[in-house]
Amino acid sequence: MNASRIIKDFGTFFEIACQQRVIFYYVGYFSQNVVAAMADAVRLQLEMSGVNGPTRRKLFSSFIEMAQNIIHYSADSLTPIDQDNHELRHGSVCISEKEGQYLLQCANPIDATVAEGLRERLQSLRSMTLEEIKQAYKESLRAEAPEGSKGAGLGFLTMARDSSEPLEFDFQPLEDHPDTVVFNLKATI
Amino acid sequence: METLYIAATPSSPEVNFDFAQHQLSIRGESYPENAAAFYGDIIKRLREYLASCNKTSVNVDISLAYFNSSSTKMLFNIFEAFKNAVDAGNEIVLNWYHYEEDDTILEFGQELHVDFPEITFVDHPVKSA
Repeated sequence: MNASRIIKDFGTFFEIACQQRVIFYYVGYFSQNVVAAMADAVRLQLEMSGVNGPTRRKLFSSFIEMAQNIIHYSADSLTPIDQDNHELRHGSVCISEKEGQYLLQCANPIDATVAEGLRERLQSLRSMTLEEIKQAYKESLRAEAPEGSKGAGLGFLTMARDSSEPLEFDFQPLEDHPDTVVFNLKATI
Repeated sequence: METLYIAATPSSPEVNFDFAQHQLSIRGESYPENAAAFYGDIIKRLREYLASCNKTSVNVDISLAYFNSSSTKMLFNIFEAFKNAVDAGNEIVLNWYHYEEDDTILEFGQELHVDFPEITFVDHPVKSA
C-alpha cells in the first residue's frame, strides 16, 4: 500500500478530528488500568494544549468520572454483571475544544430500563443553579450512597459543579437491540 | 499497633499510618476503581487505632493531587472518625496540602474545617510545579 492510499483511507478521519478540534479520543474497553494510562495521556495533552490550571483540573476530574462510569455501568461488559472490581466494559470518551470552551463527551450502551431513572436525575440537575448543585453535593456527601451506585452517588453532581453549562444528555435507540440504548453525556467546561 | 503501609499505584495513594508514632499520612492520587473496597480496611484499622488512643496527639498529613467523587466520600468518613476521636479526648492535627490554584480541593478542605471544627485544621497551599 502506498502513502497516498493511506492518506486517502485515513484522511477523512483525521480531517474531522481536526475540524472538531479533538484533543483526545478513545473508543474501546475500559478497565482501571486503561483509565490510569489515559489519565496520564490526558494530563499531558491538556498541559501541552495550553489549558490553564483550574480548567485542566476540572476537565481531568470530569474525565475520570465519565471514564469510571463506563467501567461501572456500561451494558457492554466482559466481566460478570455483579462483579464490582477489575471490571471491563465498553464505551467512548472525547475531549474537544469549541470557541474557547472545552467539551467532554462520553457514550456507552445501557439497559433501556435504567434510562428513565437517569433522565430524571440529569433533568433535575439541569434545572438547578450552581448554588443548588453545590448544596445538593454537600447533602449527598453526608448521605448514604444511593441504591445501585458503585461509588458515592456524587459523579454527576461533581461534573455539574465543574461545568459552565448544564450537562447535556440523550439516549439513542439501537435498531438491532431494543433492550439497549446508547447513553450520551456532554459536559462543557 | 503495627504500622499500616500501602504503596502507591498510579490511581491510589500511598497510605502510611505509623500508629506507634501517632503519625498518619495519605499521599498521591486517589481514583481507585472501587473506593469503598480500597478505603474500607484502611478506615477499619484507623477506627481500631483511634479507639485505643487516650489523650493522644495525632498528626495527620493529607496530600492528594486529585481525588475522585467516591474517594471524597471515603475521606469524609475518615474525618468523621477523627472527629469522634477528638470527642473522646484526643487531639488531631490535620495538615491539608493542596496546589494553591486548586479551588476544588481548597474548598473541600474548608468545608471539612467548618463541618469538623474539633479537628485542628492546617491549610498548606503548595505552588504548582
